[in-house]
Amino acid sequence: MSSPTPTIQPYDGAAHLDLPSVAAALSSRFDVHPGVRRSVRRVHLDTFDRRLARAGLTLVQCTAGSPAPTGSTAQLVLTRTRGSAVGPPSAVAEVPDTGLRWPALVGALPPGPLRDQLQPVIGIRALMAVADQRRQVRRIELRNADAKTVVRLELDEPAASSATAASATASPASVTVLPLRGYPEPARRAARILTDLGADLGQGRTHGAERPAGVLVGPGAPAPFDGTAPGRTLLARELAEFATAMRETLPGLVDDVDTEFLHDFRVAVRRTRSTLKLGRDALPAEFPSRWEPEFRWLGDLTTPVRDLDVYQLDLPAMAGWLVAAEPSALEPLAAHLDRRRTTARRTLLRGVRSPRFERLMTQWQQALTDLDQQPSEPRPDSVADERPPVSARRLAHRDIAGAFRRVARDGRAITPQSPGEALHDLRKRCKELRYALEVFAPVTDPALSRRAVKDLKSVQDVLGRFQDAEVQRHALGECAAAMMAGGTPAEAVLAMGELTARLETAQRRARAEFDPAFARLIRPASAERMRRLGGNR
Amino acid sequence: MKVLATYNIKGGVGKTSTAVNLAYLCAREGRRTLLWDLDPQGAATYVFRVRPKVRGGGKALVTRAQPLGAVVKATDYDGLDLVPADFSYRNMDLDLDDTTKRTRRLRQLLHTVADDYDVVFLDCPPSVSLVSENVLHAVDTLLVPLIPAALSLRTFEQLVRFVADSGGSPEMVAFFSMADRRKRLHRDVIDAIPRDGARVAHTVIPSLAMIEQMAQRREPVPAFAPTSRAAQCYGELWAEVCPR
Repeated sequence: MSSPTPTIQPYDGAAHLDLPSVAAALSSRFDVHPGVRRSVRRVHLDTFDRRLARAGLTLVQCTAGSPAPTGSTAQLVLTRTRGSAVGPPSAVAEVPDTGLRWPALVGALPPGPLRDQLQPVIGIRALMAVADQRRQVRRIELRNADAKTVVRLELDEPAASSATAASATASPASVTVLPLRGYPEPARRAARILTDLGADLGQGRTHGAERPAGVLVGPGAPAPFDGTAPGRTLLARELAEFATAMRETLPGLVDDVDTEFLHDFRVAVRRTRSTLKLGRDALPAEFPSRWEPEFRWLGDLTTPVRDLDVYQLDLPAMAGWLVAAEPSALEPLAAHLDRRRTTARRTLLRGVRSPRFERLMTQWQQALTDLDQQPSEPRPDSVADERPPVSARRLAHRDIAGAFRRVARDGRAITPQSPGEALHDLRKRCKELRYALEVFAPVTDPALSRRAVKDLKSVQDVLGRFQDAEVQRHALGECAAAMMAGGTPAEAVLAMGELTARLETAQRRARAEFDPAFARLIRPASAERMRRLGGNR
Repeated sequence: MKVLATYNIKGGVGKTSTAVNLAYLCAREGRRTLLWDLDPQGAATYVFRVRPKVRGGGKALVTRAQPLGAVVKATDYDGLDLVPADFSYRNMDLDLDDTTKRTRRLRQLLHTVADDYDVVFLDCPPSVSLVSENVLHAVDTLLVPLIPAALSLRTFEQLVRFVADSGGSPEMVAFFSMADRRKRLHRDVIDAIPRDGARVAHTVIPSLAMIEQMAQRREPVPAFAPTSRAAQCYGELWAEVCPR
């Protein structure tokens, strides 16, 4: 096994961390060679949902000079972090400074080890600038008697003449000790000297990179909630989170940064719709009639583009299915999908720029604010809604029990002769149950809830594959008809026929897998879990 | 991880210069690069200003008493590390002979650092030995510098047979080194080398004072003379042989 990779311990700066003081302190043990001070612009990059940070990686675009001279290159530096320590670069790529604009997908990066390491982490998400800093940086080499560099320091200071609003909050001067592999003792010695100088060990400084507002980082552990508090309050909190997600993904959706902005927007809309339905007994009486149609409209508005996105994302893999035709035969289909997506996006953008959408977002936000501020007990003089509030736990039990009953009922009714529509409807029931489990997670047993979601997931996977195959088959048929009318060559249509056959096979396979998957969901142990989550109903 | 080795039975043909300069260029591209100086003379180690010392010596590495990764030293160049030479490598044949899978031990050792590096260069001693057999079983590409002289061709033919007999299957790429195109003999040899036994690179590394200065300056040529003809030639050679 190879020795551990050296890590970097940053020292956050005090006012005495400047070159003269650092050099004077170290010169008794090392031959100190300061490099030239250079202006550096560091743009910290990550996906909207911070996939790199969650994977323990940092990606920084470093450009020398501020502003950078014409024709200069930037370095993309990928580094792995371990706790508060930063490792040496795991990959570096040179790019022309004008060559990359953010946001960008991984395919825009130059081929090489850096792109290869990023691809599996960020997938189809775009890289965006999450922090932008201008600094003065000087590398200092500490050498031994053989003139060999045995440790490096990086003295990092705020840009001297920063006139931006960020200058007031710019990170102070800092020195980073960069140990070289195979020379641990010089690094330790340098660190001790710096500590004697008065520098303090830093705590996870990452060049001032800030987490962008509203980052969607997945469910995580739900915030605790008092189960005896009104269910309305819990629902209001969940609905507010979904509204925030919609607001924050909207710019990326409009700019078409990557496909996941629309996907995340739609997830927030679906969860809003499910929560409205789950909370009919707890939310104000006017909510169903006032808001459910609006979010249904919003969901329908976004569906065509999402369907096309999924198709385009799957198309490369589907090209690999072809046996008789060449993958290039699908190029007319790819072009047709592009055209359809362009048209669908125009409709989508008209919708999200419409007065109706503006009203929906504004008035919905106000409704949630009003909901959050409503008293927990109905006022004596209230005429709007005199129903006594249902506690969150009771609401959870009722909704989870009801949702599971519907899943069990609809699933048991499915026979080998049942039409595909029956499985599509069951899929919707399963989603409602899943959302109920997630929405009420703060007031249910977490271990039980996690197991229940896991039990449900295998059925959802099968139903998802079944429906996706059917949707894609029908879409292929529609595309083929339109393309033939436009004079598309026969080989393209024949290739699409191969895909259709493959999708048919996939759909049948999913159908065959449904029965055992559903049986596992309603087996006694799983059903008991759902019963307990449903308050033993 | 790809492994390249500079190897020739003859000494003084440019193995170390090639290994040092190509490893530098490789690291400069952003690939994580390791150079192992297997020659007990330690010329590559000297160029990189690293002390030629491995704790426990070559025996500790071969017997795995010392993990290979534990003896790696960073050079002054980002992304380029070195396993230093040690004078005890002169006995590496004997150390290898005492192990199981005596011709595969080097490959096993390199496998232990496969996650840390994209490319490894081996600067080999001029010999036909158990170390050489290990190299043949460990590398993907064998780079063979040849001085354009008649005896070099004979040596090359011997090497082709040695590789064929060893059971290893690296790609062999020969290239001319220390060539002086003013000499008719050099031109004739370059034109006459048979090209059916192994690939012969188009790039010819000339005899240049800049290359000799490496030992004096203790730096790779592209580091101290990036626009020189020598740097350009090594860049062209790297473009021909670099792993895709």
